[in-house]
Amino acid sequence: MSHIGMILTRLGRQLVTEITPALEGHYAGGKANLAGLVISMAGEAWDGAADQLSREIDGMKVLLAKGGDTQAATIAPASLKLSDLQTARDELAERLIALQVALESDASPEAAALNMQIWAFLLAGAGARMPSPPEFQPTDEG
Amino acid sequence: MPEAVQYPELAAQLAAYYSAKIANGAPVKVTAMTRIPGGASRETYSVDAEIDGTSRGLILRRDPAASLIDTDRAVEFAAIGSVYGHSGLPVPEAIALETDPEPLGGAFFLMSRIDGGTPLNPFRIQDIDPHRASIGQQFFRHLGMISAVEAEKSALAGLIDLPDPALCWQRELDYWAGEIAKDQAHPEPIAEAAIRWLRANPPPPAQRLSVVHGDYRSGNFLHDGAGNITAILDWEMAHIGDPYEDLAWATDPLWCGGEKTLAAGFLPWPDAIAIWQESSGCRFDPAAFEWWSIFSSVKGLAIWISAAKAYAEGENDDPILAWSGWFTHAAHDLILASRLAPKFGVEVPA
Repeated sequence: MSHIGMILTRLGRQLVTEITPALEGHYAGGKANLAGLVISMAGEAWDGAADQLSREIDGMKVLLAKGGDTQAATIAPASLKLSDLQTARDELAERLIALQVALESDASPEAAALNMQIWAFLLAGAGARMPSPPEFQPTDEG
Repeated sequence: MPEAVQYPELAAQLAAYYSAKIANGAPVKVTAMTRIPGGASRETYSVDAEIDGTSRGLILRRDPAASLIDTDRAVEFAAIGSVYGHSGLPVPEAIALETDPEPLGGAFFLMSRIDGGTPLNPFRIQDIDPHRASIGQQFFRHLGMISAVEAEKSALAGLIDLPDPALCWQRELDYWAGEIAKDQAHPEPIAEAAIRWLRANPPPPAQRLSVVHGDYRSGNFLHDGAGNITAILDWEMAHIGDPYEDLAWATDPLWCGGEKTLAAGFLPWPDAIAIWQESSGCRFDPAAFEWWSIFSSVKGLAIWISAAKAYAEGENDDPILAWSGWFTHAAHDLILASRLAPKFGVEVPA
């Protein structure tokens, strides 16, 4: 785990185990508890966020190239900042949506095969983005 | 110990309002007021009041600055009124609706409080054990009973348009697809593909028009810890439509606690469907159910996307919006992809 991830995870746990009990009976206690859980999730996700976006960018470029989108290969993040990676991912995702719309109106086996690859990519990406379930306690309302 | 009246200014405003507008000038004193966690779509307060010497438990629902769901509190109020009094349905009494923000700093409504219940965390359904089956039977019976209410004669019908039974699906899909288009921070390939699939494969017409709760699921009822559902909550998304909308939302995998063999995480599927059919009077149609199930996950995505937007733009800083905009968004993305990918030839692990 990265240093930042470690800090977020520790802070989140502290909110849940130390701050929340001290606020029992107050509305702020529920907020502190959920904030702690979300911060812990952020700590876990932080380490892999850039890697996940990079994988999505690479995967979409491959699919778009197969679909004949020659411009997609030129799209690249301005830096490795998460915000720049996200911008590039979003631009490619827009093109992927357009490609999928075109494939859905194409009855050829080639179109169906590429659409299947896109769905496999979307499914894998959704699975990779799924955070670990938070550790709700019996008293948490969720 | 926290103060009994945690919001003294609001308590005083409510007492004055209640005395003047509801109790015909009788003395009203708020003796306890606490805010209930969750309910990001409306601020929810539990209130103990002395009304002309008589104690009464109330629930106050007040509009916040920004909400998880943008709905009309008059519709929520009418929905509760539409089902209150139906035999066996544990629903609070709707007491008063105030659309003028002046008295309490925001439009609000009041309803009676049903005491003796606690909510179930939908991500800890195991907490209901050993009463899972009993709760499940009531859960699906109550759902069917709501669907059996004569929608055309309900208080809701006086407020909202009755949809064409053949086009309930289109109205709902148009609305929630519009919410995604309006509020999305990033392109949503899975949601977009799901919306296209839903439009291309419409469901059969609604078997009947019914009162649709709109958010009927684990987590939106109270139970007494002894196997009894004591109150059905959170009617802010209620409308009139296809009863399959509620059945599909109630059994969406997000609310099933990871239990694939138990509908809503409570009952074996055949048992749940049998109870729902008997109490609703509807016939189970797998094609309708599949369409509405996929729609449910799109609707969920729309709600979470709007929540993320409200949080990101600072309209509402409740962490439930941060949670919803991330975890449940990711969960519904995965649920949708898992449902749709096999239709396009992808093998999905069981």
